[in-house]
This record gives sequence, structure tokens and C-alpha cells, in this order.
Amino acid sequence: MSPSADTAVLRVKRLAKRYSSDGPPALVDVTFDVAEGELLAIVGPSGCGKSTLLRLMCGLLQPSEGVVLLDGEPVTRPSGKVAVVFQDYSRSLFPWLNVLRNVAFPLGRDGLSRTQRAARAGAVLEEVGLEGVGAKYPWQLSGGMQQRVAIARALASRPEVVFLDEPFASVDALTRGELQDVLLDVHAHLENRRVTIVHVTHDIDEAVYLADRVLVLTPSPGTVAASVEVGLPRPRIQTATRSALPFLDVRNELHDVIAQARR
Amino acid sequence: MSTRAVARLGEVVLGAVVFVAALATWEAWAHSAASFYFPPVSEVGREAVDVWPSADFLSAVGASLKRLAAGYAIGAAAGVAIGLAMGSSHRVRRTLGPTTEFLRALPVIAVVPIAIVLLDDGDVMRIAVIGFGVFFPVLVATVAGVRGVAPEIRDTAALLHLGTAGRTARVYLPAALPTIFAGLRTALPIGLVLVVISEFTGTGNGLGVYIWTQQFVFNAHGMYAGILFLGLLGFVLNGLFVGLERRVLAWHYEAIGESLR
Amino acid sequence: MAERVARDSRPSAVGEQGLLRRANVTGLLFALGLLLIAEACVRLLDLSDSVAAPGDAAGALVQGLADGTLSGEVATTLSTYVEGLALAVGIGVPLGIAIGSSRTVESASSVVVEFLRPIPAVALIPLAIFWFGLGAPMLRFLVAYAAVWPILVHTVYGLRGVDRMLYDVAATSGVTGAARIARVSVPAALPSIATGIRISAALALVVCVTAEYFVGTEGIGHYMQDHGVAYRLPELYAAAALTGLLGLTVDVALRSGERRVLHWVGEERARPR
Repeated sequence: MSPSADTAVLRVKRLAKRYSSDGPPALVDVTFDVAEGELLAIVGPSGCGKSTLLRLMCGLLQPSEGVVLLDGEPVTRPSGKVAVVFQDYSRSLFPWLNVLRNVAFPLGRDGLSRTQRAARAGAVLEEVGLEGVGAKYPWQLSGGMQQRVAIARALASRPEVVFLDEPFASVDALTRGELQDVLLDVHAHLENRRVTIVHVTHDIDEAVYLADRVLVLTPSPGTVAASVEVGLPRPRIQTATRSALPFLDVRNELHDVIAQARR
Repeated sequence: MSTRAVARLGEVVLGAVVFVAALATWEAWAHSAASFYFPPVSEVGREAVDVWPSADFLSAVGASLKRLAAGYAIGAAAGVAIGLAMGSSHRVRRTLGPTTEFLRALPVIAVVPIAIVLLDDGDVMRIAVIGFGVFFPVLVATVAGVRGVAPEIRDTAALLHLGTAGRTARVYLPAALPTIFAGLRTALPIGLVLVVISEFTGTGNGLGVYIWTQQFVFNAHGMYAGILFLGLLGFVLNGLFVGLERRVLAWHYEAIGESLR
Repeated sequence: MAERVARDSRPSAVGEQGLLRRANVTGLLFALGLLLIAEACVRLLDLSDSVAAPGDAAGALVQGLADGTLSGEVATTLSTYVEGLALAVGIGVPLGIAIGSSRTVESASSVVVEFLRPIPAVALIPLAIFWFGLGAPMLRFLVAYAAVWPILVHTVYGLRGVDRMLYDVAATSGVTGAARIARVSVPAALPSIATGIRISAALALVVCVTAEYFVGTEGIGHYMQDHGVAYRLPELYAAAALTGLLGLTVDVALRSGERRVLHWVGEERARPR
């Protein structure tokens, strides 16, 4: 079910983005809602504007037309209610800070004391399975662990919505599975409240495995081609869920939509 | 005009305005202080307009430039030659390494008195000092340039059966040229400074001699005028060099899609 | 001011690991060999009027350090040098941060900076004498003037080169404006600033000794002038060698301090994927 107006935490209305006045628009007439606690995946081929859409939704970019509403308020700049996990973890973690300080970085605006900040950072590191790593520096960690630190940092400020921009594209396939499960864990258990997650990816299987609903974006110009309910039971399991027939059905449906849109 | 062009124009104007304001402040303060040591801009300007085009001054500048050219050519040629040898051979690098590192660390001024004793105070000494100073940045850049040549290019060169000399001249040298040019560009102001320093001994003719003499006879205007000309000269030489580099290395800049500022 | 800046960040630009690292027997033997040849030539060909034999120079070095004549001058030079360098850092880094983080400041200062920059510090020796007379303030001014440019250029370069992604992270973390400059831009620019300071340090020593040579009343440069004029060649060579050693020591000290403070830098590149 698409969220009704009352439960939608994020509403995107007729969003359009044009980079130059005479060139083709990157995005056109994008409209959808995101329900509170939902895990929404956005898929599409490269160049369809997924990352642009994500930057517009979290406030890093301003739309040419349309509006993004977060809790009913228009989004003009990144607020404390959202957090972002970027694809390139090696460039998004501050190399001069240790893991604990990296995670605590966004906590300055909440008015917490230093001890409280450190405690919160430590707690969220445990949530993602990285207890005891706080004193290390990013360069000392593997790629997968670095991305977990980035996820922990996103969660530390207790945002309402977490945006992830192809977060697992740069790690190896085995680590990818681990990180997907970390994300699902976080979505289910974080301090007894459900976090709303918007997950951009080019990997259809990943989208179906993780999401409640998948939005398909098609290129030139970027627009929403379909919104597909996943409807698989939780908790999701790498082996069982991915081999279940309903999984394959949804996956194939998405492949078809994308292939259609290519023509 | 597009907004971007207006913004750029505004930036240039702002810089010019601040510069003029700084000059005006100097002028006002110099007039009020009436200090011998800080002549107003206008007076320095007048002196410059008088002195710069004069035959004596121009022949002095010419003499300095000739020395610079000679010393620079010698230092650069030696730097590239030895740099190519060191860059392509691990053995040569290890052997010459400590010696060149130590000599590189010597401040050139330490070499001046030694050169004076060895070669007497004159053109030869000055050219030697300039060559010594220019040699090291060019050497360092050449070695780095050769060592930085992609392994794929080295392999290709090895397969071409060119022999050591052929390989060095026809593959390594062109491939290392962008980095070598960076070193040559760094060496240029060093060479210019050394001309001036070596001329502070006072003998003969030259821009440095001129500046030193002006200071010696307490002619503030002349001294300022000389220093200003030196700065201008450095600016112009650098610009000429960049123009030359852009032409010689046009292939490189196109390949990497970069524009030289 | 987007000049291509030389990144001299490896231990040694020429040797494999640098003079002081692995025992480079071949290299040291070569250097020793050169010294022996020089020694032989000077003795056998009786060139001692124009060239000092390495042995004599070494002797003069030891003597000068032992009886305090040379070591006293070293101390004098060092103190002027360090003061001038500190001044340059104190002016160059904040100014560089201001220019690097604000387009307005950059535009306003651009013409003045581009006008002053090509003027070499040593050419200002006569001017410095005019303004400050002979003595330490004149030297300090020259050292500071010479050292400020590489520091300024590298600081601006470092600030401009901050990875934009770090700014995205800052934006989504609510860190903007001055806080962003302090907590993100400056730390990210530290490696470049450190390189600028190191380059300045080498340059400043040269300028200091040069000025001392021409117009100083004390310091290593003056010592060289003194002994050079009197044809006391071993002392002259000793002073020259000592200056070189001093420069190397300062460089090594700065690099090791840099490695300590910026421990997170080189490793970045060796990061496992």
C-alpha cells in the first residue's frame, strides 16, 4: 500500500531539476510519498537521476520546480532530521578523526555534553556491530567496516530519515551481504522505533531484498516509471528469502519495467 | 552580460581597487611622514619612468639577463642529463644519491664565497653560481619525471630494441617532459635571484649591481625603482616561460584536458 | 593563485630512502671517494690558495664547534631564523585560511599578492637595511617575508583542494560557516600547510644566511664573509658544510614532527578495499 497522506513523513511533489536552461532536464514531474518507518528502494539504470533525486530529497540540492516536504515543511537545506550515507566511504569519513569522533561529528547541534556525545557514539557503534573499534582510525579498517562507521554516523543524530546513496556499490559481494543485513537490523531494532530509510541502488536484487516498496526511475528525463510493493515477510534471510518464488516474481517484474522503459 | 561574467569582472575590479587603495595609503602616509626611507609612490614612479628606459639601466639589465641565460642553460642541461641517468638506473641513483642530496641542502649563498675565491669576482663566478642553483631543482624534477613514467611505456620502450641512449632520448625524455618543465619553471626564479645576489658583490654591470649601488649611495628612489623592475622582470619571464611550455607541451595538456594557469 | 605547487612529500626526492635511512654503502663510498680525490688533488697540486682540502675543512669544523666561535654563530642564526619563521607562520596560515575560504577575500587580495610575490626576498636586502638598519630586526623581516609566500600559497591550495564530499558530510551534519572551516577545511588542508612550512623552512634558512653574508654583523653568513675575505678557506668550507647540515636537520625534524601530527595521511593511500 502506498502511504496515505497522514502517515507520510516525506512527500515529493512534481519535482523537476534542470542543470542548464537549454539542456534536457535531469528529473521531471517526480511525485511520490514515503511512509514513516518504510524502507523505500529507488532503482534505475545509471544516469536516470537517482543520485540527483536523493540530493534533492535530503536538501543538498534545490529543485528547479516542485517541492520536497519533510513532516509537512519544505526542504531547503539539510536539516537535523535527515542523515546521509554516501557510496565512497573512504572519502566521506574524516581521516584525521578516529572512529568514535567520526561517529560523534553530527552531534554538536543537539546540545549534548562531550561525555554524552561519546556515549551515544559508542552505543550506535554497537548497534552496527563495531564495539571496541572507537579508537581506531578509518584507514585501519576494512572497506565494509568503514561503511558501517558511516552508517553509525548517520544514525548517531537519531534522524527521522536516513538516505543511502548506492552505499554498498564499492564493497565486495560477500561484504555486501553482511552490510545489507546490518541495515535491515538497524531498520528493525534501533531503540524501538522504526527509522525511515530511502535507499538508492542500481542492484535490483538488493532493492527487493531490503525494501518494503521499490520505486523505478527511468532516464531521459528522469521520472517515476513504477512503484512496486515487495510484500515479503520480515525478517529477511539471504538464503531463504532470495530463493523464494515471490522474491523472483517481484524481481522479474522490476526487470520488465526497466526493460520496457528503455525502449 | 551573463551573471558569471559580471561576477568575474567584479572580482577583478575589487582586486584592482584594493591595490590602488594600498598605493594611495602609502602615498598619503609617505607624504605626511616625509621620511627619506619611504618615498611616495609618485616619486618612485617618476624615478622609474626616468631610469628604466635609460641606456645605462637597460645595458645593466641586459648584462644580467645574459648571465642568467648562460647559467640557466648550463645548470638545466646538466640537471636534465644527470637526472635522466639517475632516473633510469637504480644503481646510478644509489651511487650519486647521498652526494647530490647533501649538495642540494647547501644554501647557494654558501657557494658564493667559495666561488669567488676559486673563480674571482666576475662573470664566470656568477654564471657558475647560477648554474649551481638551477641544477638541483631541475635534477630533482627530472629524476621524478623519469621514475614516474608509466610501466607500460617502459615495457613498450624495452620491446622496441632502441638501446639505452635511444630509449632515453626518444621515450623517457618526452614522457618525463611535463615534470621536467615543472622543475625548469621552479628553477627560473631561483636563477633570477642568484643573478641579483651574485651581483651584490658590486663589481661590473648588472641589475643587482644597480640596486646595491643605489642602496650604497642612499638613493631611495633608485633602489625602489630597481626592485620594482626586478619584480616586473620576474613576472614577465614567468609569463614567457608559461607560454613556451604551453606550446611545447600542447600534446600533454590536451591529453589530460587541463588548462595551464 | 591556482599555481601548480610542488609536492615534496616523500622522504627524499633523489635517493631511494634518503641519506639517513638504509645504509647506502655504494653511495657513501662514492661520496667518500670524491672527498679523497679532492683531498689528494689539493695536497699534491698545492691548490690550497683557492680550494680547501676536505681534511682541513673537517678540522676547522671541529675546532670551530669546540671553541665556540662557529657554534656561537649557529645559535645566533638559529634564533633569528626561528623567530622569522614563526612570524611567517603566524601571518601566512591565517591569511591563507581567509583567502582560501572566501572568494571575496581572494579577489580583494589577488592583485596585491600577485604584485608582491615575484619580488625575491634577497632583492629586498637593501630595502630592509633602509627600513630596519643592520641587525636582527632586519634579518627577521627578510626571513619572514621570504617564508610567508610558500606558506600562503600552500595554505590556500590546501583549502581549495578539500574534497567536496567532506562538505556534503558537513552540510548533512549541520556544520556550516566558521565551524566548517575550523572542523573540516583546516584539518583537511593540514598536509598541504605542513608541506608549505617545510618548503618555507628551507628557503628561510637560505635567505637568513645570505643576508648575514652581505650585511650581517653576526651569524653563520657573517662568519663565512669574514673568513672568505681573509682567505681562511677551511673555516669557510666548514661553515658552508655546517649550513647544509643545519638545513638537513631542520628538514628531518620537520618531517618527523609532520609524521607524528599527520599520522593519518599517507596511510589513506594504503587503505585496503
